[in-house]
Amino acid sequence: MITERYQRHSLIDWFSQEEVRSSKFAIVGCGAVGNEVAKNLALLGVGHIDLFDFDTIEIHNLTRSVLFRENDVGKNKAEVAAERVKELDPNVHVRSYFGDFWDQLSLTQAKSYDCIICCVDNFEARIKLNQLCLITKTNLINTGIDSKLSQIEVFPFQSGSHVACYECNLPFSAYERMQQRYSCGWLKKISYIEKKIPTTIITSSLTGALAASHALNLIRDQSMNDAKRILIDSFTGRSTVSTIEQGCSCPGCSSLGDLVSVVTAKASIESNLQLACFDYDDHFTSSEPILVSIRCIECHPGLDDCKVIFENASDFDSTIAICNECGKETVEVSIRDSFSFSELADKYTGFDLPCKFVRYDADNRTTIIEME
Amino acid sequence: MAEVNIIIRTADQTRKAEVSLDTSNTGADVIQASVDNWSLPTDTDYSVVCTTSGKTLTPNSTLGDNGINDGDILEVQPVLVAG
Repeated sequence: MITERYQRHSLIDWFSQEEVRSSKFAIVGCGAVGNEVAKNLALLGVGHIDLFDFDTIEIHNLTRSVLFRENDVGKNKAEVAAERVKELDPNVHVRSYFGDFWDQLSLTQAKSYDCIICCVDNFEARIKLNQLCLITKTNLINTGIDSKLSQIEVFPFQSGSHVACYECNLPFSAYERMQQRYSCGWLKKISYIEKKIPTTIITSSLTGALAASHALNLIRDQSMNDAKRILIDSFTGRSTVSTIEQGCSCPGCSSLGDLVSVVTAKASIESNLQLACFDYDDHFTSSEPILVSIRCIECHPGLDDCKVIFENASDFDSTIAICNECGKETVEVSIRDSFSFSELADKYTGFDLPCKFVRYDADNRTTIIEME
Repeated sequence: MAEVNIIIRTADQTRKAEVSLDTSNTGADVIQASVDNWSLPTDTDYSVVCTTSGKTLTPNSTLGDNGINDGDILEVQPVLVAG
């Protein structure tokens, strides 16, 4: 039965169903492009597909989402996509993860994939996924569309540390645009309306096909050494293929050591301090900015009179700048992502590290401590 | 300062211009000039590809750093965000 299903594939000289069957992919973002990639990988007969999305299906998604139906409105995108993938090919092992991939996808799990395909709709998630793939040396395919153009970017991180990453060519304006979501550094704005980019099934299906094709290339051809971008104009069929150059001052990869090691620890600061892989004077960077303390400069003018918070800054919005006592917007907020281990021991024992991982660099070696 | 005569175009090739640029100009300068002169949407981000060499230009590197020569074609591509 299984052999008959893939009989046409077996006639293709370059196609190894066994290789495809033993491959494992993750799709992050199950919107229009994520649907197409999942559908293609399922029909190709890949062994494992993991689907990540925090979002629910809305009626306007149905013009671009091959796996969703009207009855699915209100349901989680990843769960519905997983059910439909199972219907397309019951031999595919498919799992769905409902929630933010940053919380759900551990570094160990990220490393287990042949390739992660990024089908999200914002810069921030792309940068975070790029970080996970860089650290774990997992191949990454980034996708993007508008109403006319299709684009994929292939980052074969498995092939070595010389490969350009997603941030190497990201223009400065993208960082400025990302910051528009926040005020005071990393506090979410209370009301921020994200610009919606209109797309059609034409560009999403074109992109999904390209992404699936290159995902297969990555398992078939281990000699792919350079990052590349393919941009196709769906109106004219014209395409531009370019090699993505590594940026020497890239915020994503330039400071990453040649040797990257990952260890896990409990989130408590005491547990982290027990690790013997650093000196107390070493500085580390947290994967997310931490809201360290707050102080109303009118009610508590003394510099030492601050309230320690030590939680993930993205859990707060800009209303924290309004003082609970005087009602004025006079609260000074301290948000940081760099600390020394001795500072942790002196000031913050008893707290958990409110981030996915911390990173410290020494002697061209990067150590990542992932919170359990 | 050296100058190069190059062609700049948009990804959909609806806009194209032959220009002389100093080799100290960066990819970001090329993008800014394209957005200004062609009134490209300002709510989109762009990157530059040299179609002659088939390589992208990193945002802060100059035309000289990238070995851009007379006759080269630089394509201003939107950074696509939707998914």
